[in-house]
Amino acid sequence: MSPAPEYSFAVEYDGPPISYDLPRALPITVDNIPVASVVSQVPLSDTLSLPVVQPLLPPHHHTVKELKTLSSESRVSKELELASERTVSPTSVIAFDHRASQINVCELSGELSSSGPFDLSNGNDGSGECEFSDVCDSSRLLEESSSSELRGGVCRSTRSFNTMEFNALGVSNDDEKESFDFNELNLNQQDWCSTESVLSLEYPSTRVSSLKAEDCDGRRVPAVSFNVDYDDDDDGDLNEEFDVEETVTRPVRREPLTKGKKGSCYRCFKGNRFTDKEVCLVCDAKYCSNCVLRAMGSMPEGRKCVTCIGFPIEESKRGNLGKCSRMLKRLLNQLEVRQIMKAERFCEANQLPPDYISVNGKPLSYEELITLQNCTNPPKKLKPGNYWYDKVSGFWGKEGQKPSSIISPHLNVGGPIQPDASNGNTQVFVNGREITKVELRMLQLAGVQCAGNPHFWVNEDGSYQEEGQKNTRGYIWGKAGTKLVCAFLSLPVPSKSSNSIGEQHSNMASRSIPDYLEHGIVQKLLLVGCSGSGTSTIFKQAKILYKSIPFSEDEHENIILTIQSNVYTYLGILLEGRERFEDEILADLKKSQSCVLDTTGTSPKPDDKTIYSIGPRLKAFSDWLLKTMASGKLDAIFPAATREYAPLIEELWNDAAIKATYERRSELEMLPSVASYFLERAVKILRTDYEPSDLDILYAEGVTSSNGLACVEFSFPQAASEETMDTTDQHDSLARYQLIRVHARGLGENCKWLEMFEDVEMVIFCVSLSDYDQFSVDGNKMILSMKFFETIVTHPTFEHMEFLLILNKFDLFEEKIEQVPLTKCDWFSDFHPITSRNRTNSNSNSINNNPSLGHLASHYIAVKFKRLYSSLTGRKLYVSVVKGLEPGSVDASLKYAKEILKWNEEKPNFNSSEYSMYSTEASSFSH
Amino acid sequence: MSVTELKERHIAATETVNNLRERLKQRRLSLLDTDISGYAKSQGRTPVTFGPTDILCCRTLQGHTGKVYSLDWTSEKNRIVSASQDGRLIVWNALTSQKTHAIKLPCAWVMTCAFSPTGQSVACGGLDSVCSIFNLNSPTDRDGNLNVSRMLSGHKGYVSSCQYVPGEDTHLITGSGDQTCVLWDITTGLRTSVFGGEFQSGHTADVLSISINGTNSKMFVSGSCDSTARLWDTRVASRAVRTFHGHEGDVNSVKFFPDGNRFGTGSDDGTCRLFDIRTGHQLQVYYQPRRDTEMAHVVTSIAFSISGRLLFAGYTNGDCYVWDTLLAKVVLNLGSLQNSHEGRISCLGLSADGSALCTGSWDTNLKIWAFGGIRKVI
Repeated sequence: MSPAPEYSFAVEYDGPPISYDLPRALPITVDNIPVASVVSQVPLSDTLSLPVVQPLLPPHHHTVKELKTLSSESRVSKELELASERTVSPTSVIAFDHRASQINVCELSGELSSSGPFDLSNGNDGSGECEFSDVCDSSRLLEESSSSELRGGVCRSTRSFNTMEFNALGVSNDDEKESFDFNELNLNQQDWCSTESVLSLEYPSTRVSSLKAEDCDGRRVPAVSFNVDYDDDDDGDLNEEFDVEETVTRPVRREPLTKGKKGSCYRCFKGNRFTDKEVCLVCDAKYCSNCVLRAMGSMPEGRKCVTCIGFPIEESKRGNLGKCSRMLKRLLNQLEVRQIMKAERFCEANQLPPDYISVNGKPLSYEELITLQNCTNPPKKLKPGNYWYDKVSGFWGKEGQKPSSIISPHLNVGGPIQPDASNGNTQVFVNGREITKVELRMLQLAGVQCAGNPHFWVNEDGSYQEEGQKNTRGYIWGKAGTKLVCAFLSLPVPSKSSNSIGEQHSNMASRSIPDYLEHGIVQKLLLVGCSGSGTSTIFKQAKILYKSIPFSEDEHENIILTIQSNVYTYLGILLEGRERFEDEILADLKKSQSCVLDTTGTSPKPDDKTIYSIGPRLKAFSDWLLKTMASGKLDAIFPAATREYAPLIEELWNDAAIKATYERRSELEMLPSVASYFLERAVKILRTDYEPSDLDILYAEGVTSSNGLACVEFSFPQAASEETMDTTDQHDSLARYQLIRVHARGLGENCKWLEMFEDVEMVIFCVSLSDYDQFSVDGNKMILSMKFFETIVTHPTFEHMEFLLILNKFDLFEEKIEQVPLTKCDWFSDFHPITSRNRTNSNSNSINNNPSLGHLASHYIAVKFKRLYSSLTGRKLYVSVVKGLEPGSVDASLKYAKEILKWNEEKPNFNSSEYSMYSTEASSFSH
Repeated sequence: MSVTELKERHIAATETVNNLRERLKQRRLSLLDTDISGYAKSQGRTPVTFGPTDILCCRTLQGHTGKVYSLDWTSEKNRIVSASQDGRLIVWNALTSQKTHAIKLPCAWVMTCAFSPTGQSVACGGLDSVCSIFNLNSPTDRDGNLNVSRMLSGHKGYVSSCQYVPGEDTHLITGSGDQTCVLWDITTGLRTSVFGGEFQSGHTADVLSISINGTNSKMFVSGSCDSTARLWDTRVASRAVRTFHGHEGDVNSVKFFPDGNRFGTGSDDGTCRLFDIRTGHQLQVYYQPRRDTEMAHVVTSIAFSISGRLLFAGYTNGDCYVWDTLLAKVVLNLGSLQNSHEGRISCLGLSADGSALCTGSWDTNLKIWAFGGIRKVI
């Protein structure tokens, strides 16, 4: 159609609407929108008299959108206007028909005929559009005919302040005991509660919402909501492109809902153009100081009318963002003003829409804009427009103009640079762009040989070489005078902070992300499991794996203390055990002695020295430790205890009695399995200069569980292989993940607080494989885990959530399965692995054909869980077998989680054939 | 003593306790000749009536981007602090409906917040099991965030509820998922006393809500997932003064009656109840009017009007009933009024002077309701 297809649309569109060829013009326009509407209008006018509910829906929106685009172009041709009017009337009539038939609201008819099409034909495109979409909105509401919807729509638009005008209705409260007094607030604020008759219609404070039909009145309820329209697009016959175009044409100018005489306040219609007024950032409505607070409410997005909340601001007002007027300062206190201005600047709706900026002829995507704005050296005061960007050297400028600044190079934004990007005519090319005269001048002054129309490569550090040659010819910024020349020619110079690409990458990860970006980028993973399932190990692994400083100084201190007090606790349990064993042996002795006594009649000297006896010094220490533990004050004696008792510990540990007790540790139920790891290192750990190793931290209990919930935010570091292709993968480095770890207990009884995690992207459920033969008070731990899994999976909050099951502690499991059969757990009673020793020999050529018992069993358990999951949800469970103590294993499973998330994001983009292909791949993954 | 013997004795003891409890219940029932509404009716009381426009939503506080979970009013000025799942505490000026502070929390999963009696600081707690105190007057850091001025850590479960001891900026009581309540000394950051727990006659499940007696700040009640409410004396931490049975579901909300001799509860079983702390009797049940087929909607939060005549109760379906406490009649449903919330009402609170009610909802907004009519002075 045109030579440069990338932006041919924009160029082509400007022309055609002026031509009077209506059907032709519309399809060609960039905003495909009119096409869609025109096509669907034809059948519509045929079915004009049919008050059918369904068919109405799409046409409404077509027309609305069409109108919007038309008014946005602000040069509506007469023909178009006619056409749109024609398209409007049938729908609105039908809408009215429909409405009248369903709910008898007479007033709507008048409103429809007067406000909708008439305004439009008057050429007052702005208000016409607004009014019409009101109507449309309300009719949509009607069609859905759900009362809650209706109320919802109403609520959004009629704001709190509207009802400030209290009506003096008598209260028949004849009970003198009642001293319930709501009046004071209003009395205090008497000046707020003016009763303007003008507004009574618009702000139906006296209305009761019992009559839903009244609420649908379009004029009264100016609920223009673009977002609602978007939702409806899904069910319509609109293609993908249409949607995209719609967002492009979003700069629809919202018009204020009411307009008084010129210069007056838009709400109270008083005042003149000289009275101080505050302006809505979206619709340009102006309010006097009496009305501004009521019209703008609590200003969650800064100075916008309550009805404009959520809409993008008018671009011409971008410069005013965060700049407070005198009026607000007068009305509100400093703290309030500061909050409003902060909200105005940083709220999501007020951010620059990415598609307003196109770089090298390509509109930016959301991620690209973020990349651009968050690079070390971003373009200053980015305004909507077309820019060119030289990725190699970082030159940045407006399309068709000389460079205006030098930003961070190598950003993956926009398309490839065009030779005519800066509209140069010097025949000298820098990085594929024909430079302007001024630049050439600068190059010459900088001492660069420019004879013979050379093509240069200029790097970000200013070194340049001729195209096709290897050797660097020199540095542009090498000469002292160059920068001065640049300043003279108003050309940009590189800022001092310009960094090499490597530094920039590391910065990217550490830089804090502004709030408004956060929810678009951070993906939350919820890590849950019963206690003992190793969630904290995985959490700690993630910290060690992905954080450059896994634990802060404080945390480190705490970890040492925790580990040390744990070891004391283990020792205490051991000592307690020792006492018990000693008593038992003594009792046995006595018994046997008494037997002896009976037979012999002589009383031998009772020898209470047993293998479990300890010396008096150690005994004193043991008694003291047990006493402190019993009183629950163990935490209080740290870290003083470490200094004092370190030598004693060594002595204790080397004592034969303790060694003997330690041998019988399996009889001490209180002693956790990890205790032996620490006890064997007890002497080292309880020194004052103890430095925990990563493994110590991983093994340690209670490092993260002291709090009910722990979360860590990280991004996956790019592997070396990815680095090479980082231009394509750069968005990935932006993606951040937040791993939230909660205890089963932390969710409260019956997972009462699970609803707080509705915004997580995925649940990682952790099960300890080695739990199958473990029992707690409530039964088999594996069964308990399974039940907890069931509770979580079936929780309404997680109805559509992806689940990744981590079968943890595979290393322990592999050892255990050889000794204890899996059938020990009732749930696994039908596990009958076909293993024969002979097979090992006969099939020795392939290891894969003969998986170990551990693998078989873990696979079996995975299948068990998968069946359970799919029976509960009908979906597929992702499973990953992990050894929590091995960093690589945890890394792999978390990366797997990332892949699942990515896949879910991309899934809708594939068509059905591709989909099936990928889905098989995914299923093969999950085994 | 062998394990089996111990187990037997335990079973026997449990049975005895249950029997005694049952007998106590029977005894209470026999003593309970009437409830409040019955008596009030017999005295010829007529219910409070409200026109549909008598209570109006007069402010909408917009600014949170997540579900609002908790709110609290200051005692003197008309300020509100609210906690939301977006991980922020916002301090509002209720009159202008503007924010004065927006505090980004280190842990986003916040469940409760409270204003100190002087209005100088706010406290909040949540799933991180820590109660954090923010001093509103302290300077902000570079990003404009307030730093935590004190962390009260020691709970082993989430902090579900916190309230300052009236008139004392340095003392605070929290209720937690670890089945205990704790009285804190904020200046030292240490626990003054722990109520309940392993060895004491405390709650047997998560504590969800606490309320301190407004007339005698030594007493407070706690409501718990064990479907009981317990009365505590802060001077005697060892055991609960009284345990109130009656509810058939988690007690989500407890609130002292303004006179300090009664308290109200709201529960998962869909009822609100009124208990007398002196006799231990249940005075009245407020059953949610519903059809038989419907599931009862959970009561999330309750509040009394200044006189105690009205009880406001928020429900999970977005209703907010105004009960006449005397006659146990629903006077008004704020959820059916114009401008009402679009989601579950999660918290509500009355301003200190009783002039306005603030409701917080999962629709991310807070709304302030005030009396719209002119009272007839009798």
